[in-house]
Order: sequence, then C-alpha cells, then structure tokens
Amino acid sequence: MPHAPPSPLWGWEQLAARLESNSQIPSAAKMSIQQTRLAATARYLAQEGLDGLVAFNGGLNSFLEAHAVFVLSGVRPVCASAVVVDSAGASTLIVTPAWEAERAAVISSTNKTVGADDLAAVLGQVLTTHKIDPRKIVTVALSTLGVGLVARIEAAMGGKVLANDKYARELARLRSPEELAAAEKATWIAERGYAHFLEFARPGLREYELAAELYCFMKELGAEDNFLLLSASQHNLAVTAAGSRVLDVGDTILSEITPCYQGQFAQICRTTVIGEASQLLQDKYAVLQEAMRGGQAAAVPGASVRAVTQSMDDCFRAAGYGDFCRPPYMRVRGHGLGITSDAPGDLVRESEAQLEDGMVFVMHPNQYLPETGYLMCGEPVVITPSGARALSRRPAALDCISV
Amino acid sequence: MRTVQPCTMIGAYAFDQDRVPRDEFQIRIAALNGVMDRMACKAVLIYGDAREHSELAYFTNFIPRHRWALALLPRRGDVRLLISMSSRDMPAQRLMTFIPDVLSAWTWDKGFDPWLATLGPDGDIGTLRFDLMRPALREQVDGSLSNRFRLVAADAEVTALRRTRPREISLVRAACEVARVGAEAFAQAWHKGAGAETAALAGERAARGLAAQDVRTLVSFDAGRTLAPFRGTFAPREGLLLGYIAVKHKGYWAESFLSASDGPSDIHTRAQAGLEAALRLAAPGIRAADLHADAMRALGPSPLHPVLGSSVGRRIGFSAHDGGELTADATHVLDTGDVYALHVGARDVQGGAIASAMVTITPHGSEVLMRAP
Repeated sequence: MPHAPPSPLWGWEQLAARLESNSQIPSAAKMSIQQTRLAATARYLAQEGLDGLVAFNGGLNSFLEAHAVFVLSGVRPVCASAVVVDSAGASTLIVTPAWEAERAAVISSTNKTVGADDLAAVLGQVLTTHKIDPRKIVTVALSTLGVGLVARIEAAMGGKVLANDKYARELARLRSPEELAAAEKATWIAERGYAHFLEFARPGLREYELAAELYCFMKELGAEDNFLLLSASQHNLAVTAAGSRVLDVGDTILSEITPCYQGQFAQICRTTVIGEASQLLQDKYAVLQEAMRGGQAAAVPGASVRAVTQSMDDCFRAAGYGDFCRPPYMRVRGHGLGITSDAPGDLVRESEAQLEDGMVFVMHPNQYLPETGYLMCGEPVVITPSGARALSRRPAALDCISV
Repeated sequence: MRTVQPCTMIGAYAFDQDRVPRDEFQIRIAALNGVMDRMACKAVLIYGDAREHSELAYFTNFIPRHRWALALLPRRGDVRLLISMSSRDMPAQRLMTFIPDVLSAWTWDKGFDPWLATLGPDGDIGTLRFDLMRPALREQVDGSLSNRFRLVAADAEVTALRRTRPREISLVRAACEVARVGAEAFAQAWHKGAGAETAALAGERAARGLAAQDVRTLVSFDAGRTLAPFRGTFAPREGLLLGYIAVKHKGYWAESFLSASDGPSDIHTRAQAGLEAALRLAAPGIRAADLHADAMRALGPSPLHPVLGSSVGRRIGFSAHDGGELTADATHVLDTGDVYALHVGARDVQGGAIASAMVTITPHGSEVLMRAP
C-alpha cells in the first residue's frame, strides 16, 4: 500500500481546483477552518469557566512547532503577535510592527486586527475592550517568547496566568481538507524541486549554489518557506545545511527538502550519488526503504508512536544495526510538521502518543551505517485506516547523477 | 526592516579564518574580560537565537540556524558553546566557530553543570541577551545556578565597549556588494517587465548565488502604500515599484529599498532629497535627532512612510536592527566606525517611495557603502 498510486490526487488540475480558493488572499474556504477554530475556542472557554484566551507567537516560524497565531487567525505575522478570543467568540489579532496591520487585516479570520509597536502595551487595551478579567485568562505559547517580553506581557495581564501551551497543537492536530490540499501541494513542490535538483546538480558546483537554485526554484512554485538541508560527502555523518564544498564524482548528496505552502510544511528526504552507486550502497539503502515500508504499515489509527518507531528500528536490528538506532547515528524516525500542528511529535521509542486518522507528519528512517555513512529516505504521510499513505508520488530511491 | 523569519537559514556559515582570524576573537574576548573584571564576574553567558544573535556572533562567530545557542565564557578557563541541536549535528556545528568545545545543549547536565563547577563554589556571572531566552531555558539555567551564583545583566557594559572593528567594515563592504548585485537584479527584472514578486525573486536568486547566507525581500502590492512578504501570486507588473531586499553575507546584513515608476514621481524625488540631506549631514558627533530633522525637512510636508516607523535609519551589522534608531527623539550621536542603513520616504494618494543607502561614519564625515539602484 504505502505509496499513493497515480490517482486523481496527483492530477494537477484536480489539485489546483481544490486549492483555487485557498490562496493568501482570504476565501470562504480558508476562512472557515480558522473560524471553526475560533468558535471551538469560545466553547472551550465557556466549558472551563474562563473569560478569554490569548495565543502568542514571537515571529519565529518553526517547522517543528504549532504557530498558535496562525492556527487561529490564518496570518503569519512578521514579528511578535497575539490573538485574543473571548468567551462570546469575539476575537482580535494584534500584530507588530504597526505597519503590518493593513496586510494582516485583509487576511485575518479574527473580527478585528490591531497594529502596534509595543505588543504588551496594546494587549492590555485589547483585554479591556473585550471585557476580559485578567484572572480568567488562559495563554497559549506565551512560553515561546523571550523572558523580557513575557515579563511585560504578564504585567499587562496583572501577573502570571493559567497556560495551556498544547492548545493550538491539539486543536489543529488533524488537517482540514484545505490544509491537506496545501500539504499535497507542498509535497508536489518538493518533488518538482528534487526533479530539478537531479537535472541541475553536477561536479564542480558548490553546495550553496545547488541549494540556492533549488530554494529559488521551489519559491517560483509557491513555496513561502523551506527547511532545506543539503550537504555532500564521500562518507556523511549527518545531513547539514549547504556549505562551500565543491561537488565531485563519488559524493553522496543528502537532501532534506521541506517547502511550506500556505502554512503547510511537507518534507522529503533523498540520497543522491554523483556517478555510479556501488552494490554495497544499494544494498544498504534497501534497508532504509524496508524500514520506511515497515513504518508505514505499522502507522494505523490508534497505533502508538513508540510501536511505529519500533517497527522501523526492527528493520535495522534485523540487518545487524541495532546498536546504531540512537544518536549520534540517527535523531528521530520522523516528526510532526508545523506550522499548524506538530502532532504527533517526534517519532521516538519514548513517545506514547497515539496516531489518528488524518494526521500528517514526515516519516524518515534516516540512518548512519558504518559502511556507507548517513543515508536518507523519507516521505510526508497521512494516516489512513490501512496505514500511513505517502503524499509523495515517487518513493525515495537511491538516485544517481550520471557523469 | 522587519521581515518574516525563515524556519532555517540555508546558506553557508562555516568559520572562515582568512576573513575573521582567531586573533580577532582574542581582541574581542580580551575586552569582554575587562568587563568581567569591572563587574567582578567570574564568567559571561551569551545567548543568541536564529533571529537575534549579534552578541553571540561577535564573540564566537556562531550563528544559530533555527534554534538557539549559549556561549559560556569564563574569566579564567575554557570557553564552551552549547547548541540546541542533537549530538548527531555537532560535527557540522563545530565548523561554524573557532571554539573547540562544542556540545549539544540537549544534555544539559553534561554540558552546563560540569562547566559551572569549574567556576568555584559561588559568585556573579554576567549575561548577554537573556531577555530573548525562553522561560523554560531560563528556569533550567536558574536550576543549575541554584542560589550559589547570581546573574547580572552585562548588556549595557558590553554595548558600550563594542566598536566596529576594521575587519567588520571589510565584511560589511562584502555584504553590500552582494546586496548591490541582488538589488540591481531586482530592479532590472522589474524594468524589463517582470512583476514585483518575480523581480524580487530574481534579486534573491542573484544574491544566493553569491553565497548569501540569508535573503529577505518585501514588495508592495498596492503601489507603494505598504510592504508585504512573499505571497507567491506573481501578479503582473504595475507602473510603480516599491520593494526591499536584505542580504546576510558572512554574518553581516546589508539592505536596500527599491523605488521606481514608469513616469515622473514627485514623491520619489522628495524621498531622494530626504536621503541626500541625511547623507550630507552624516558625520561623527552629529546628533541623531538633527539628522532626522534634516531628512524630514527635505522630504517636505508628507509624514515619513509608515513602514519606516518613525526612523530614517539605524545601525546594521550582525543584526538587521543593531540599535541607534535615527528618530526625532533620539539622544545619541553618530560615532566613527558606526554603520548605518539610511532610508527616507513617504506615501500619498499616488503611492509611495523610499530612497536608501548604507554608510559608515568616518573620522571626517561618512562613506557611502551602497546606494539603492
């Protein structure tokens, strides 16, 4: 099962139609998911006997964390920002700097958008406008800001208040149809990017030149951000960001290609050889592919992250690499993808998180093997009753660039 | 300008000893030792993250790509760098600094606590940029310090000692050259008929191809009234361009606004006049508020463009916002060696324009490092 067949999902016209109204310009379809979440937040407040929720973001866009402001407003502000929701369902987005307000107001799903140069000062005014009792506030992701700003915000709220830092992550843990379509588009961009990489990479090119071309090519296709790691060696220890190394015959290029489209990151992990791949390398790469298939089959709704991780590790153990299933020989077997929700978190043996139908994350049994160095193999997947279905069209293979 | 922070920085960040040799850091750390002596501190801890890392990079050359790092600099003893990355990633992180002792911060008890033990039983420790640190990390630091050590903010003392080093000026010049190429590619693409986003991407591609570590662009979708980050809509060309490009190269930022129109533009002319006034006055000892006043007089009756806040410039370097805002109520004076990004512009019903340049303050005036195309 694991890989998606060439289905209507991958007919670009169909996908384009699904995305037609889901652009940076607001649309009824896009607004609906944020409005649904705002309404759910009002219900949550009523249930908990609270007056208001304040969700924060510090201006950092981590592809490994939920962006609480984006989850509730649909806006990814330039700097520190907050969304205030009261128990009646009214909401205000506060963005900094002040000039951001004009842009944000057009996109935001909140009732109101306010621009400010001092988030803490304006937050106090907004709380008053919403008639929110500071003693009945719950915060989300205040802990992601610096302590200097946190102290001023707490002063504006009258002191330390209740926190529920997992709120946005849980609220958005299942992708909406629009978000899933955007994740599919992001995957399409990643695969197109990798196809371009295979055409463009050659001996003599520097790593950063290849990364620059790949990054800009995917931006042309609509990728607003990209967690792009790309590095080469005759014996890699890990994947890193591009450096100045000049590519040459025999290099193994590792790439972690992670475009973001409308707030949905999708990641593919690839291994590419300049020249011919040895039989040894092909045999070892097959272990990663087997681990990927094992992980996908195990990743059914209700399965624990621990069990899925274990199934991938078992493939390495069976091949004699049980001692290498730990850092520094690998990091994790996959992870959630921001910026809506990073659920189910890291795919590690210590996690008891349970998978749910519709969860999207990346599964990657990337692994250092002593004979070959670090190798990469990974796809973005969506959980279905029959296992994890890859959003990518072509599963990772050991690719060669002929010279 | 404030721009969207990318999830990671993709460019090449290796420690280049030919451009910033170890002896340069010896000089910088010697000055920091002086601060420790004056404050009676046994060490200084320097925090930096992917967004703001000016102090961390100045003393260690290290720039976090997408999380944070903490430099542990004792007055006597060995420097250690803790990086919020997996142990798998440490070999690559070590290439970005002259410090040999680089450890993953994820094993805090193996990285921080043993180092702290080398300082003795108690004492004061200076801190830099701890205001940026997340609460959970601050609690971890406090937990290790217990009540034996006291943290003392050293930000003001270190800011006072930091002077732009000659090598920094050389590196800023190199960054300006990359930014100039990017800005020209941006402008040329627009003049040849590309829409604003397509033109901005042409500028970004040109700069990244020259080893820019990071490139940020903004464009206007409303004839210069506001600026916005990337949308990916690639709309057709309009008759007026307002854009922005910033480039980070070997750790240093350089930036430029781009203003152009198909026909004559009064607001464009006035923006240029405002910039010329600022450039004429820029010199050591000049009050920042006076420079602001001169630029505004030349700009004419329009208020400053909203995207500039209330400032006609600021210092720029390891941070795109290195302080020294040139505002009406600024109290500082320009100093020899300072590097400023100057920008003057306005908007009216017709649209908006911003003229910009980068300068370094010299003993007898200023030198223009870069002007917008």
